[in-house]
Amino acid sequence: VTELSVSSDERDGVVLLYPSGYINAHTVRVFEEELQRAIGSGRYRIVLSGQELRYVASAGLGALMAVIEEVRGNGGDIRIAELNETVRNIFEMLGFNHLYRIFGSEQEAVSSFLENAPGGSASA
Amino acid sequence: VSEPGPQAAVVLVVPSATEFLAAIRDVARRAAELFGCDPALAEQVALAVDEASTNVIQHAYAGASDRLIELRFDRAGERLSVEIEDDGAPLDERAFPEVDLRLYASERRRGGLGVHLMGRIMDEVSFSRGGRGNVCTMRKRIGTAEGREAR
Repeated sequence: VTELSVSSDERDGVVLLYPSGYINAHTVRVFEEELQRAIGSGRYRIVLSGQELRYVASAGLGALMAVIEEVRGNGGDIRIAELNETVRNIFEMLGFNHLYRIFGSEQEAVSSFLENAPGGSASA
Repeated sequence: VSEPGPQAAVVLVVPSATEFLAAIRDVARRAAELFGCDPALAEQVALAVDEASTNVIQHAYAGASDRLIELRFDRAGERLSVEIEDDGAPLDERAFPEVDLRLYASERRRGGLGVHLMGRIMDEVSFSRGGRGNVCTMRKRIGTAEGREAR
């Protein structure tokens, strides 16, 4: 059984990552590899679209924290969209909603990059 | 379906390999539901148990996958009780300092988030040294996930 797969796409110069399944200490490497694939190719505008993300443990949140300075330092950001209630609760419990902009829809998250605003502020 | 009686417990013994975290999560969620937690709360409890088990694997057993983790779920009054026991190296709570997310980003720190999350989800989290090794005890008032809003 594949506990996590991550597919990716690109739209308007924004990398879209679609993790499907569960991110925990066992599967986090798959997620990190996809993040690194984007960053390693100089693409720093990233949207994590979570409609198929069932669950994220701290390992996954740590993976985001590990790269966010580099991403923002290069003028990009990691923005998050389409989280289910469980995952959104986890983000909020840890205060990640203050560190990452979270959008209801993937398109809103992609469009936010076109506003050319630097990341780091929380969304409503 | 009636709830289990007062003496009932769910016990799971699994190898200390991250491959088993999915089974731990599934059993934790089902046990929490059996003892009266609503599905949303049971999902959060499962996450806290995943984090505690990950700590055992990574810290008490230093990544060794051939040891055992014993998990016991039962009901203590109006609370769900979870005990997670290992026979590994002592866990030092000081290894899990308070989390400052800003420092996490700027210093690229890893670790500590899991214990922080356990504390946010559960009403009580404590670490002790038992007969065999470490015991992590967590308790949560049985009810709905909305209960966390009052904390």
